[in-house]
Amino acid sequence: MKQLLYIVIVIVSLSACQKVIDINLNNAAKKYVIEGIVTDQVNGVRVKISQTMNFEEDNTFEGVSGANVTITDNNATIYVLQETATPGVYSTTGFKGLIGRTYSMYVQIGADTFRAVSTMPREVYFDSLGLQDRVVFGETRRVPTVYYSDPEGKGNAYHFVEWHNGVQESTIFVRNDENTDGKSLSIQLVSFSNDSDNEEKKIKTWDTVTIEMQCIDQTVYKYWYSLDAGATGEGQSATPANPVTNITGGALGYFSAHGVQKRTIIAN
Amino acid sequence: MSKTLSIVCCVLLSCLGAIAQTKFTISGTIRLKKTGETIIGATVHVAGQSIGTVSNEYGFYSLTLPSGTYSIEFSTVGLQPVQEEIVLTKHTIWNIALEDASQSLKSVTITATGKQRNLSTPQMGMEQLTTKEMKNIPVLLGEKDVLKTIQLLPGIKSAGDGNSGFYVRGGAADQNLILLDEAPVYNASHLFGFFSTFNSDAIKDVTVYKGGMPAQYGGRLSSVLDIKMNDGNNQDYNVSGGIGLISSKVNIEGPLQKDKSSFLVSARRTYVDLFLRLSNDSSIKNNSLYFYDLNAKLNYQLSKRDRIFASGYFGADNLVVGNNFGLKWGNGTGTLRWNHIYSSKMFSNTSLIFSNYNYKINVKSGANDVNIFSQIRDWNLKEELQYYISQRHNLRIGFNTIYHTMRPGEITSSQLSNFNSSRLQQRYSWENAAYVSDVWKATDKLDLSYGARLTAFSILGAGDFFNIDKDGNILDTLHYKSGEFVKTYINLEPRLAVSYKLTDISSVKASYARNVQNLHLISNSTSSSPTDRWVASTNIIKPEVSDQVSLGYYKNLYGNKYELTVETYYKTMQHQIDYRDGADVLNNDAIETQLLFGKGRAYGIEWLVKKKAGRITGWLSYTLSKTQRKIDGINSGNWYNARQDRTHDIAVVGMYQLNEKWSLSASWVYYTGDAVTFPSGKYLINNVVYYYYTERNGYRMPAYHRLDLGATKQLRRRGRYSSELAFSLYNAYGRENAYTITFRQSKDDPNRTEAVRTSLFRFVPSISYNFKF
Repeated sequence: MKQLLYIVIVIVSLSACQKVIDINLNNAAKKYVIEGIVTDQVNGVRVKISQTMNFEEDNTFEGVSGANVTITDNNATIYVLQETATPGVYSTTGFKGLIGRTYSMYVQIGADTFRAVSTMPREVYFDSLGLQDRVVFGETRRVPTVYYSDPEGKGNAYHFVEWHNGVQESTIFVRNDENTDGKSLSIQLVSFSNDSDNEEKKIKTWDTVTIEMQCIDQTVYKYWYSLDAGATGEGQSATPANPVTNITGGALGYFSAHGVQKRTIIAN
Repeated sequence: MSKTLSIVCCVLLSCLGAIAQTKFTISGTIRLKKTGETIIGATVHVAGQSIGTVSNEYGFYSLTLPSGTYSIEFSTVGLQPVQEEIVLTKHTIWNIALEDASQSLKSVTITATGKQRNLSTPQMGMEQLTTKEMKNIPVLLGEKDVLKTIQLLPGIKSAGDGNSGFYVRGGAADQNLILLDEAPVYNASHLFGFFSTFNSDAIKDVTVYKGGMPAQYGGRLSSVLDIKMNDGNNQDYNVSGGIGLISSKVNIEGPLQKDKSSFLVSARRTYVDLFLRLSNDSSIKNNSLYFYDLNAKLNYQLSKRDRIFASGYFGADNLVVGNNFGLKWGNGTGTLRWNHIYSSKMFSNTSLIFSNYNYKINVKSGANDVNIFSQIRDWNLKEELQYYISQRHNLRIGFNTIYHTMRPGEITSSQLSNFNSSRLQQRYSWENAAYVSDVWKATDKLDLSYGARLTAFSILGAGDFFNIDKDGNILDTLHYKSGEFVKTYINLEPRLAVSYKLTDISSVKASYARNVQNLHLISNSTSSSPTDRWVASTNIIKPEVSDQVSLGYYKNLYGNKYELTVETYYKTMQHQIDYRDGADVLNNDAIETQLLFGKGRAYGIEWLVKKKAGRITGWLSYTLSKTQRKIDGINSGNWYNARQDRTHDIAVVGMYQLNEKWSLSASWVYYTGDAVTFPSGKYLINNVVYYYYTERNGYRMPAYHRLDLGATKQLRRRGRYSSELAFSLYNAYGRENAYTITFRQSKDDPNRTEAVRTSLFRFVPSISYNFKF
């Protein structure tokens, strides 16, 4: 339904004008931002730690060093993550994520501790990736389309990440099976970023499109869904709000155990 | 001895005679002579005494007096008052026909002095526009729109550009009961709030209650907007209409049998879509944007004591974007009414009302062809008795029973599509209300209106209801069969209003009212879009309750040329609803799992100075107010500003009759921006920038102000045919008022974040040609 609201706003904006303005925003006390993932890939276990920035600061990743990070597998084995060459990024090669296992992340930075739990859901096979034509506001665009079969039984959730010619697409693509349980699906991943009519963003012949499909658990679905609904700054929600995180202790971010499948296509 | 006895007897008898002196009632219907339309709120006043009454919604009046001779004056705004010498020796029926105030062509003074505003009526927090007054309101987009006009009055705030709805005394947009000939209208605007669904040509009376609502109204917390349509000219045929840049309308009325019955048909359609088709840009060309309204009414005077009415309204908006997307929403209402005059003191009205509001969305994308449908339907039976007991008491007793059916969401999709057809449960509820109220003229200076409304809201099966924990997780599901009672909420709503006349030209008033609301609008968008979802109270969603006290001071100045009104209010609200962070309100059967509940408070002071007479008329309105909410789970459980909180709200409105041909109007509004949530920081997730929020609604949108100008030129009359050209310019100095402020990475330098303001309408001109014959 985000699409619906966006369309309404675009129609209304037929006569609208936009202007960049100066605005005075408060600077809130800094909060930690933790992105933790456990995947089934090689080098697929990683925790990134950073902090919130003030509005005027640059949009660059400034990692937080010196944190104690561990991930526990099914309440049994504890793996300690070491900081890599990039400050703020912690990883381990000690294990690969397995389906059905529950992983608990523990992060300690100074006097603050944060915990999160995620269970890797069963993998749903990423059948294939294609490109379909779609008419968006009167013009035809080529849109990446993913094909997969949702298993019977509600509770499956998916997160797709798109790279177009190596550049990551900022739109969040997240789905659950509330309305599509048990169906064989072809889902178009339509980007609705601010500059979707920017020529460079369009998919042209010989462009490379890579889609990563992640099968995520319900708490992580809720995170991506609420992040997209409330925190993108694009004003679709009447009450912008911080996303619902599965990390306790007061940090922003998420901890997700998911399987990864990647498909690449070259536009013909 | 016998002489003394007989004298004593005579004296005694005459005393008894005086005590037993009989009272008689004079009653009747007050109409406009030219069209036969009944007149609402006309004053009936006994000369030399402070006794009088007012005609009711159907033009009926009743006055009980001791036998004798009286000089009674019948009057209303804009019409020539009539003075009648009446000898009252038995119950008398006296119907009155009033004529237009004579308008001399030489002088264009509308009235030398305004009609004295009635200061003793205990009703406060009320604004009323009669037919005559509605001719004298500013022109916006070539039209005289009553919904836009009331938003220029204190205490009533517009929801802003591109938004429909309005806020009254800090209440939300769903807390206004909008009635069109007694039928509730759920979505009263078209085209993103630019046009209302009410065709001003067909409206007789608009009354808005901001507080102190009398007991016959209930169901919404913050206001009642009671709109009464014309019945239809029962003397002569009349066609009027207008052709404008954006929309056109026509109004046809006339008698079926002169004096006995008449009809009224009024229609309007916009053709913005035709302009879209002219565009070369194919992305605009394939879109469609139109709306229409149709009003039809029939009335028949069955006998001297009986009159029946049938009326209907249908209206819809249709928005189609390319071949991807279609959105259609609409209201339909039908009313059947029967007036019966039991006696000169008792008037009854029985109404059967049907009301339907729905929206339908169609989304075509790839192989998907999905239709989403949502609806709310009411069947309503009302009965009211008005008993004009005596000079001093005027009683109203009534009951109201409504059966609501809500289909909050139905998804049907073609076989090939990805979406399963699914259906959110239909919800059934039955609302019953009974009320009693009395208007009591206690003394010459003191008038009271007091009463109570008892409501019982019953939630019925068939359906599943849930028990949830404080985090919104479902604990268990309760299944109910069709017709089974799930829960009944019983509430008593006392209403009290007092007015005290300080002098002949000034008074003070105070009132208290409790209101209960069982239908709630859950919305999740920047503007109140028609896809907001109406939800009835359930076992978890409790009825909203508001208590409002208000105090006011009223004065008529300079021989009734000016009116001053100052009112202050304090309102508390219980069981206010907001949604959890990250809530999915469009697709969730157990919607209660997405909601949070708490309380609200609103207070303010409103000033209104009105000039009613002379070449220049108009008003100046100023409201200073605050409205807040406190909900566990939002803003850490602290009080926060409601979105519609606006500290200052100013409107300056003027109408100027330049000469016989030209009249000008201007209105300027200024208000503090809405309370809004802006980020107080940002961070990166997956290399993308997201925004960090701390307090809810802790920032303000920039202040909004706008000037609208209008000019109307009367063209030459040819016999019955008269016409005028109306010009208007919306946002005359083109202020870029902020519709939204969003945040994004700068296009030139993605390392920086910038704030972007989107503003909508600037310099919107409109011309329309209006005719009448």
